[in-house]
Amino acid sequence: MGQGEYSYTFPHRGLIAASALNRVDLELVFDSARAHLARNRTDDKKHPSLKGLTVINLFFEASTRTLASFEIAAKRLGADVVNFSAGNASLKKGESLADTANTLAAMQPDLLVVRHQSPGAADFFQRTTGISTINAGDGANEHPTQALLDLFTLSEHLGDVGGKRIAIVGDILHSRVARSNVALLSLMNADIRLCGPASLLPADADRWGASVFHSVEAAIEGCDAVMVLRLQRERMSAGLIPSAREYAAIYGLDHTRLSLANQDCIVMHPGPMNRGIEINSALADDTDISVILDQVEAGVAVRMAVLELLAGRGMQEMVP
Amino acid sequence: MSGGIFISGARLIDPASGRDAQGDLRIENGVIDAIGPGLSPDADDQVIEADGAVLGPALIDIGARAAEPGRSGIENLDTTIRAAAAGGVGTLVLSSSSGAGLTRPEDIDWISYRALQAPIRLLGAARTHTGAGEMAEIGLMLRAGAPLVSDGGELIADTRFLRNLLSYASAFDAWVGLTAEDLHLSDGTVAHESAMAVRLGLSARPGISQRLGVERLAALAELTGARILFERLTTADGLDAMKAARKRGLDVAASAPLTHLLFNEVDMGGLDPAYRLDPPLRSESDRQALLTAIADGLIDVIVSDHTPVALEAKANPFSDAAPGSSSLEALIPVLCTLDADGQLPLTAGLKALTSNPAELLGLPQGRLEEGAPADLVLFDPQAPNVYGKDGLESPAPSAFSGRRLQGRVLMSVVDGAMVSSRPGFAE
Repeated sequence: MGQGEYSYTFPHRGLIAASALNRVDLELVFDSARAHLARNRTDDKKHPSLKGLTVINLFFEASTRTLASFEIAAKRLGADVVNFSAGNASLKKGESLADTANTLAAMQPDLLVVRHQSPGAADFFQRTTGISTINAGDGANEHPTQALLDLFTLSEHLGDVGGKRIAIVGDILHSRVARSNVALLSLMNADIRLCGPASLLPADADRWGASVFHSVEAAIEGCDAVMVLRLQRERMSAGLIPSAREYAAIYGLDHTRLSLANQDCIVMHPGPMNRGIEINSALADDTDISVILDQVEAGVAVRMAVLELLAGRGMQEMVP
Repeated sequence: MSGGIFISGARLIDPASGRDAQGDLRIENGVIDAIGPGLSPDADDQVIEADGAVLGPALIDIGARAAEPGRSGIENLDTTIRAAAAGGVGTLVLSSSSGAGLTRPEDIDWISYRALQAPIRLLGAARTHTGAGEMAEIGLMLRAGAPLVSDGGELIADTRFLRNLLSYASAFDAWVGLTAEDLHLSDGTVAHESAMAVRLGLSARPGISQRLGVERLAALAELTGARILFERLTTADGLDAMKAARKRGLDVAASAPLTHLLFNEVDMGGLDPAYRLDPPLRSESDRQALLTAIADGLIDVIVSDHTPVALEAKANPFSDAAPGSSSLEALIPVLCTLDADGQLPLTAGLKALTSNPAELLGLPQGRLEEGAPADLVLFDPQAPNVYGKDGLESPAPSAFSGRRLQGRVLMSVVDGAMVSSRPGFAE
């Protein structure tokens, strides 16, 4: 299916927030992602729809997997890719963010992928430069491509996500993954449950359109999927929770706890995992339950779809 | 199965139901089997003549310090437990500042282990934090059996950390006992700010330090939904703030230390280090306000605040002496003395040491009720008692030493077994 069949053109200049997307947008992304996913499994992965375009990955926060995923996605689409990352000296020279944006814009890239510790940073880049920007994580605000790949993976395993019970367990307060996921899952009318230590849950989380739980056992009951979030070590030193062992004992997910969920419940994790803390090692490796590597694979396909749509080079343009 | 214990001719006081009447009580299999006037013992019962003495639920003290674990001191834990039993305490909740602090689940496990051999019920409060801005393993300690969480008298100054802590604890629905003072007003002070303290040249904190403390904690209770126990309220100012917090519908409770029910700042006027206490002794009007608050239920619990201080730590000028008093064996005498002087009805005093703490912590004991655990104390409320004259279990210095009180524990029963009795009684 191409874009034309929807009589709908992807209307977004960039992808700043998952909450800006509608259901038709999701169908466009996912139809395209499914095709990319299939092709990515062959030995002819190249699909040069972005030929001639330049993508800059601008990662002010350390990242390996997300950066790699974006880089592979853009390269498979035939784009020229330049990476700037946190370790890179050019991002540490005391230049203002606006100057960095304008300098890069002067090099005429076609797409920016931005990760930054401040909420609103990706939007700032897009407004400053006028260049299509993908938010690869802005502080604790949004991480829309993660939510897209999570929803894609959920749909592949559960079918229609509407009415399905999905728990997100962990540090909701600091999680952009949780915020973006709640936006998309609400759009799909899923039954969303948020669970974590009260000191890691926003005070108004019950107004996010989700039910809030402090007991992981209660939260998991009857779930079709559980998304486990990574526990950042700095939450302990910041005095938000006591210790890794207490977190593992009270909020960690293992087979025993998961037995409270539906029989076919799947387990997801945005990575990288702290094995033995938020997720038990045996559970993470149980391929009947854990779809964590499916998420990683879907990540490339979904990002390819997003890059194409934003470049205005969706599937229909490729079909002669 | 051997017979039960039959206590005849007692004045039965059950603060929970308000019962205060002559009668008998029979114990079998660790529970109260029957209560009432005109009961008859079974043939093989051990019969104890109460002779009009008061029989009430054994005391529940939720704030006593022990010198262990992790340290040693003037009394070891066994001595503290014996002092509690002799004082009529059936359930002893050790303060989280006991020894080196009850900061880890292993410490709570250690208490559970020691409780196996203890004649009375022994529990330990979980410490809130292990260092500045470091949360203790509250969840694991509660799971290990701690009945509440507490700062152990160490004020948490960092409000952001305190907010996180209270949020975190709220998920476990546990009471968090906190010190209600203003850090900067109270830090380093040894007395209550008054004309007397100033004349004596003591560094002193004003009563509003406690008020600011209560107001700060009440605001955080409102924000986080945590249940806060204001530990050791001692001032009229603090009680006013407590009353306002209750009025706002907050889930708050308060405790008061035994010493402050009997003593005021005049007692420390001679700078006797025995009266060096934390919080310091307050004015007479504060003491009166405290007694009123206990009688009308604003203060939920009385704690012994038992603190075994080494003799050498007390043997110092007032300001340099370590604060604290051995108080477990003074609980019943103080309640009886206050009742006899018309200052605090015995039932109200007992309620704050039995059914109120039981209700607060969800314990089944603390009431005289058929089927309830047979945790009982029998005491003679009239017996004159020069505190310490006939010897005490606790060797630690006490603010009550030599004080003319009245009231004596005759016998303590825990879980249906006699765990302490006055020499010559029921032998």
